[in-house]
Amino acid sequence: MNDENSRVTKVEGREPETGSMETILPSTLDSRLSTNYGPGKQAWQRFKRNHAAVISAWYVAVLLALVIIWPITLKVAGSFGPSGVAFAKIHNPDHLSNAQFAAPDAQHWFGTDVHGRDLFSRVMYGAQISLLVGFVGAVVSLVIGVLWGAIAGYVGGRVDSALMRIVDILYSLPTIIFVIVLLTTLGALLKASPFVQQSAFWGKEMQILLLFVGLGAVSWLTMARIVRGQVLSLRTRAFVEASRSLGAGPARILARHIIPNIFGVVITYIALTVPAIVLYESFLSYLGLGVQPPMASWGTLIAEGVSQINPIRIYWWLIAFPGGVLVTTLLAFNFLGDGLRDAWDVKGK
Amino acid sequence: MKSASARSRKSEAGNRKRQFDTADKKRGATWFGVPPSGGRANAGVQTATGRALRLSQAFFCLLISAVCFLNAGCIHREPPADLTILNGAEPETLDPALLTGQPEMRIVIGMFEGLMRFDPRTARPIPGLARSVEISPDGRIYTFHLRTNLVWSTGPPITADDVWYSWIRVLNPATASDYAGQLYYLKNGEAFNTGKIKDPSLVGIHVLDKFTVRVELNHPTPFFLDVCALPVTYIVPRQTIEKYGDRWIMAKPLPSSGPYELVYWRLNDKVRLKKNPRYWDAAHTRSDIIDLLPVGSPSAALNLYMSGQADIVWDKELVPTELVDLLLKRPDFHKFDYLGTYFIRFNVTRKPFDDPRVRQALALAIDKERIVTKITRAGEQPASHLVPDGTANYLPVGGLGYDPARARQLLAEAGYPGGQGFPRFEYTFNAAAGGAAEMHQNIAIELQQMWRDELGIHMDLRQLEWKVYLNAMDHLDYSLARSSWIGDYNDPQTFLGMFTSNDGNNRTGWKSATYDALITEANEQTDLKKRAEIFQRAETLLVSNQVPIIPLFFYVGINYFDTNKIQGVYENILDDHPLQYIRKAGRESRVEGREPENANQ
Repeated sequence: MNDENSRVTKVEGREPETGSMETILPSTLDSRLSTNYGPGKQAWQRFKRNHAAVISAWYVAVLLALVIIWPITLKVAGSFGPSGVAFAKIHNPDHLSNAQFAAPDAQHWFGTDVHGRDLFSRVMYGAQISLLVGFVGAVVSLVIGVLWGAIAGYVGGRVDSALMRIVDILYSLPTIIFVIVLLTTLGALLKASPFVQQSAFWGKEMQILLLFVGLGAVSWLTMARIVRGQVLSLRTRAFVEASRSLGAGPARILARHIIPNIFGVVITYIALTVPAIVLYESFLSYLGLGVQPPMASWGTLIAEGVSQINPIRIYWWLIAFPGGVLVTTLLAFNFLGDGLRDAWDVKGK
Repeated sequence: MKSASARSRKSEAGNRKRQFDTADKKRGATWFGVPPSGGRANAGVQTATGRALRLSQAFFCLLISAVCFLNAGCIHREPPADLTILNGAEPETLDPALLTGQPEMRIVIGMFEGLMRFDPRTARPIPGLARSVEISPDGRIYTFHLRTNLVWSTGPPITADDVWYSWIRVLNPATASDYAGQLYYLKNGEAFNTGKIKDPSLVGIHVLDKFTVRVELNHPTPFFLDVCALPVTYIVPRQTIEKYGDRWIMAKPLPSSGPYELVYWRLNDKVRLKKNPRYWDAAHTRSDIIDLLPVGSPSAALNLYMSGQADIVWDKELVPTELVDLLLKRPDFHKFDYLGTYFIRFNVTRKPFDDPRVRQALALAIDKERIVTKITRAGEQPASHLVPDGTANYLPVGGLGYDPARARQLLAEAGYPGGQGFPRFEYTFNAAAGGAAEMHQNIAIELQQMWRDELGIHMDLRQLEWKVYLNAMDHLDYSLARSSWIGDYNDPQTFLGMFTSNDGNNRTGWKSATYDALITEANEQTDLKKRAEIFQRAETLLVSNQVPIIPLFFYVGINYFDTNKIQGVYENILDDHPLQYIRKAGRESRVEGREPENANQ
């Protein structure tokens, strides 16, 4: 315990604490620690001690694995004789069958919906869409947000003011309404354009692309602010000054010294952005603006489940499973993000 | 010292708390409806929290009164409705000449009236604004005698000139009424509507005197009195329309010729009607205030009904299909047959649906049996033809069945073997007000999958709000569209006349001179048996050869209301329920908890 405290103060003493410090500072400055643990490794140690975060990480990993493996299983199953073909057919998320509203059993693990489609498969295929939108949206926010914030923070002055005022303006728009307007107008414009009408590419793919653009477009604002704040405090540091005095250009300083140093903050924020975007996507799909049938996302599945809530008979699996998977996934991502923040953010400890 | 005072204060607080509790118990039942049990449950709470509790209750009261104050504008001025009806989609319009949908029609038959009106039990025409009618022996001249005591709800008298104006307005090309085809039976009606003649005095409707109207028809039309009971022929206020133009229905006050006046029409909230005391038969209007709510989601409708917030649910789209098996066992769910067909329209002006073989292929690849047994589930009959079997003066025809092999063959002949090269297309259906139209969407998903599996073609779904959907159909801005038609009167003409070239409800772009000639020939035919045979030839052309539409199934009507409480809703084959006959009975022994304020009204 004592040992850990001393380590913490040591690390705090040699700010900035994250990322590629080892390469910048001579390791002899802090021989006792850095021979054992680099900052990344220390973060990892702290992360491992956070049980909620570790469990969440496992959950996300298992979910991702399932989402990737399940469709492959269905494809491959066809080559394992007639029983395999039957298995693939029963679990095909678009296959209409006579087993309407079957309760969960050995064959349909999550039950079936009004068209007799296997709900487990639909949740898995829905997860593809939901998580894909979440990750792509997060990456879009990462790219735009980091570039925007880094430029604003590093260049400063009028450029900073201008860039940040744009962020403020976008911030002041009600996010979800902005996305809805963007989706509907862009969708209508694209559908009307002859280019799209000619290609076979519109329809479901177009809808998902629009979701990427729409959700990415609103989720980078906080990222830009955070990055700008970090860059503002970093650019006056001695090691940056040193680099500049040695003749490094702004691009090199940003790429080699500043961005690696904000890595921890960024990764943390990304982990928190993914669930937020998944939730947005679910919300839009719930409203019918997201993916179109027969494709499903968690939002559309939940919408279908909710429509079955009535005082007479409830097909509970239609709401319980998609809703449960959505909630646990969002929780897992949030715990994961918290764990990452605690692990990287030494001052907060 | 300190602790003692604290203790005394504590006990004081406790005393006050107890007093408050008893007061609360006494007043509980009347005071903001807080049940007395709430006070008793709180009595066990430690005395120290008494003040906090009281404070929070005071705050709660303040909040309640604040809310009351904020809502005062509505709550105090607005009396509760005597009858709350869930009416399906948000109305597109309340203009009798322009409406085409059933939700609009149900409201408008309360607000305006025609020469005839529908009998609530049989849906046969009975005298409305007309006191009597004389029909010439050859069946071509109708002389209507208006009642002499007719006035608008604003006071001025209703005269024969109003009738003439209302009918000519429907036929006027500038009005663009989709239902104008109903008045093509009038001499020169079609010519005037299509702009071939400009002079309205040539049209076969003439004012003989203040209370007499004479109507000349092209040929004897057995169902012409039914037409006179259709909303499109209802009598509308000329001065208001000329003053306010397109927005006349929003005029205040809006002169009304029917049993009810429009209080307001709040979009996506409700339409409120109140009794028109100047209506000629006002003595028999049975409810004073009626609210008609646009609700689109069947589960929302069921929840509103079950929680007592709605008295009648009567739209065909408001039945939760997945619960039909359980619901039909309940005494308050009423299943009845009526003349309605669910079908798909093709836009035949768009490739590749301009090719009849493609349309036939799509029709043959639909397993309609599956749709009625798995999705709609109320005992609907799969349809291969348009006119429902129970229709009067009619012989059913055989249409296209389920034959995927032939469908594939036809599609290959049309140049798309296995669906290759077939463009993606959209299937348009109407979303319901405030929720997804679950039945339409479920049917769409079934069709999507059937066509993909059988024909290898890909369809996208496009859900539109009711008004937008009707507009898209009018402008042929769709490829395939979900449609339905409920008979306006009991005759094949109400279904088959719709697909003649000039009819506003055609909406497919399909024009066939042969078909038009057959329909005209049928309507000129006085022998009902021969007439039915000609209709049969026309329908075969429609559903087997040219296929601008694919009939899916014939509706079964399900309305739900408690017969112990609601009187005056009768089952009839047109699903017409005039509002003035409906009444919610007084309170019965079964305690509902909710509407005590309605109890003695």
